[in-house]
Amino acid sequence: MGMTVVGVGGRPVTVEAFVGRGLPSLIVTGLPGATVQDARERIRPAVEHAGLEWPLRRVVVNLAPGNLRKEGAGLDLPIAVSVLAATAQVPSNRLTGVVLAGELSLRGEVLSTPGILSMVIAAVRAQYRTVVVPEANAVEAAQVGGIDVVPVGTLERAVAYLRGAWEPPVDQPAAIEQGWQAPDVDLADVRGQLQARRALEVAAAGGHNLLLVGSPGAGKTMLARRLASILPALTRDEALEASQLHSVAGLLAGRGLLRARPFRSPHHTISTAGLLGGGSTVLRPGEASLAHRGVLFLDELTAFRRDAIEALRQPIEDGAVVVARAGGSVTFPARFTLVAAANPCPCGFRGDPVRTCPCRDDQLARYAAKLSGPLLDRIDLRLSVPRLTKHELLGASEGEPSAAVRARVVAARDRQLERYDAIGLTCNAHLPGPMVRREAALTGAAERFLGAAVESAALSGRGFDRVLRVARTIADLAGSNRVDVDHVGEALSYREALQGEDRVSSAG
Amino acid sequence: MQAEEPAEDQSVPSGWPPGFGEGPGEADAALLLRCLPGISPRPLHRLVWNEGSASAALAGIAAGAAGSGRDRDWLTTASASAVRAQLVRAGARFARPGDPEYWPALLRLNDPPVGIFIRGRTLSPEHRRVAIVGSRRPSPVGIEVARSLARGVVRAGLLVTSGGALGIDARAHEGALQGGGSTVAVLGSGIDRDYPATNRELLRKIEMRGTIVSEYPPGVPAEPFRFPARNRVIAGLSVGVVIVEGVAQSGTRSTADFASQVGIDVFGVPGAITNQLSQAPNALIRDGARLIRSADDLLDDLGIEPGARAVTPEGLPSQESTVLAALVHPMMAEEVAVAAGLGLPDTLTALVGLEMRSLITGEGGRYRPSARAAQVAEASAIPEPGYRHVPGPASAEPPDGRGRRPSG
Repeated sequence: MGMTVVGVGGRPVTVEAFVGRGLPSLIVTGLPGATVQDARERIRPAVEHAGLEWPLRRVVVNLAPGNLRKEGAGLDLPIAVSVLAATAQVPSNRLTGVVLAGELSLRGEVLSTPGILSMVIAAVRAQYRTVVVPEANAVEAAQVGGIDVVPVGTLERAVAYLRGAWEPPVDQPAAIEQGWQAPDVDLADVRGQLQARRALEVAAAGGHNLLLVGSPGAGKTMLARRLASILPALTRDEALEASQLHSVAGLLAGRGLLRARPFRSPHHTISTAGLLGGGSTVLRPGEASLAHRGVLFLDELTAFRRDAIEALRQPIEDGAVVVARAGGSVTFPARFTLVAAANPCPCGFRGDPVRTCPCRDDQLARYAAKLSGPLLDRIDLRLSVPRLTKHELLGASEGEPSAAVRARVVAARDRQLERYDAIGLTCNAHLPGPMVRREAALTGAAERFLGAAVESAALSGRGFDRVLRVARTIADLAGSNRVDVDHVGEALSYREALQGEDRVSSAG
Repeated sequence: MQAEEPAEDQSVPSGWPPGFGEGPGEADAALLLRCLPGISPRPLHRLVWNEGSASAALAGIAAGAAGSGRDRDWLTTASASAVRAQLVRAGARFARPGDPEYWPALLRLNDPPVGIFIRGRTLSPEHRRVAIVGSRRPSPVGIEVARSLARGVVRAGLLVTSGGALGIDARAHEGALQGGGSTVAVLGSGIDRDYPATNRELLRKIEMRGTIVSEYPPGVPAEPFRFPARNRVIAGLSVGVVIVEGVAQSGTRSTADFASQVGIDVFGVPGAITNQLSQAPNALIRDGARLIRSADDLLDDLGIEPGARAVTPEGLPSQESTVLAALVHPMMAEEVAVAAGLGLPDTLTALVGLEMRSLITGEGGRYRPSARAAQVAEASAIPEPGYRHVPGPASAEPPDGRGRRPSG
């Protein structure tokens, strides 16, 4: 029995072999994909290298169910073993209840294979009792639990196990790695930038997407990287979900589950398929899915391809990417916090204390237009990050460590969970417009303040709901049931970072 | 009508002949004259004086005495009622000489418009307007100056006039609206066109709270040659023209030339002699334009008493005044917080409030006092809020039973 991966889920595949009369050949039936067809040439050398005999007869291997397209080199090992079983080199009765997965090299080694985690999860669900996996993926496979994991480094070893001649060592790879791993970056590393640190805290607490606007060298990337460090620790379910995606993408080899929240920062030349997932034969999760339960950072937002950026709307709204293919569609989970960074103007130095910005009004308007649009509409927090002068940097105090900020974030998240339990939401960022107006619970004074902001043209209609969501989160951080003037005032300070964006006029 | 006054333009008197455009037939003829696609204002002005009336001038064009083939072609199919229907669709109206909305100073131009199209609020003969014009590509300083001048102008009870272009034009209108006043945008395209598209939102606001004027009937596209003609209408509608920024060969200079035709004052905002964008105002100042440093200078020269510059005293909330006092140079929010001795959230709230009152500006994460704050400090007057408190709903308490469970 083997496994193939469809999207992010493993699907059991029954592998059967028939050895009959005819010219020596290996035929694979049952809708094998291109990667499985490749196996035909690989398997015979691997078998012979392992000191076993390849039948010089006509070999037919069938993969069931026949209507499912099988992809992935992970079927190499089960195909080889089924042929060996058909020629009585491996006892067939030992194969019941066993799932095998692994790619073979010509020398008979079992190589690291993407998607092992998903396959093991599916095997447990289908109530298999043993899974044979590549040694390189042993730690990953051991995380699931409820199934015996047999890591093998070579085909020879796998055959020895099936013949009963070898047993895996008892001290299996550390069963289930638990616990939160402190990220290798900490908010304490950031000097100064109190307002930006505060914005990160608000973004983490409410699950808000964040736009950082600042000159080159202002520290936008440094800040974005530290957002993951103040998010609440991954729960086991979240870790499994996220790790499966990394496993399918082949990024988990040699490691267990993800223990820190992922931080992905794709380069701006990335294609839509690279960002959202896709591929011609094997569907791979994109960067949006690899950032699942973590942070997706888009540096130089204006340099990204417009279509790629616009395509991010779906995962931001639905928390998942649906990749449609002729054979059906595949869903990759993709619920991430988006952090986008951009220069304040085409030259990058607008508002800088030292450099002068030669950009003119019309250039700025065009630049702001490039940044605006449906994606920007889904970013609740916008912030200018000034480039600190040498003097300011030296005078700046060292900041609070991530752990302290994370404690406040967790408390604010708990308040939200409690409030939204009944409606199936987890955080303020996901509140739809009409609901946020109800949930915000503004005090009278806050209502008047917000009214004044609308009247003075500092706030557009579309910006209104965003400010309410952020204000709600700030109130949650303060442990307040009602949203007061201070909360609205602070939220308003995160409303705009680009000249000409969002409001026709900037007050002044 | 000032038909008896001598005119510079050869034998053609200024203004229009007596009775021009008066009566139904004449009114229709004036409207059609204004819609002719070919003939330009100056030959048209001469023709009307030669023929003596609008309908006679129209007949002259139809007969080929003046105008071009395009004009005659257009006249074969045109009718005043069709144009009026178009105007209704565009939400616009036509004002010919003698109408209350046709500002009499327009007649002092060498080639006065046969009429103007208007959208939005009434162009009242009671109002006094100041033109604020300048570069389409201003510097950040120019933007700030345009806004603050416009705010000062509307606070003294005057209106602003400018074009509909990007840059200084747009910022002057913004300043006027922010200051709670009204403004007049003169378009270089058809009255129904919101051009350029970037300013569409602004032009909509102006239509609600101010007036949009154009010499051109609906459907006429924006073309560069129309902008000087538009500048003469801007000058003709105003009691003074301020040039904020402009390069040496700038179109804004033409507005200043028209100002002298109309006989109104020209004002220049000076700048460094090395600054390209200050070349036009500096040159004008050298030629005799009035130098102004602030809206107060401008209002002084226009003869508006300081007492008439409406200021509604109202105290600042204490946190806002603390923050404003702490903000001595461009500072980041966190520096302000330290200097003011307040927490960051409180500081941010105060900064937003001050920004809404136009007392500070924020850019690139740093805040600084605005030009207005400096004026206020000098006058030691209490700043009035740039925003008005909107009365909240009768009860701001959240209604019960909102499906929200008590938390924390």
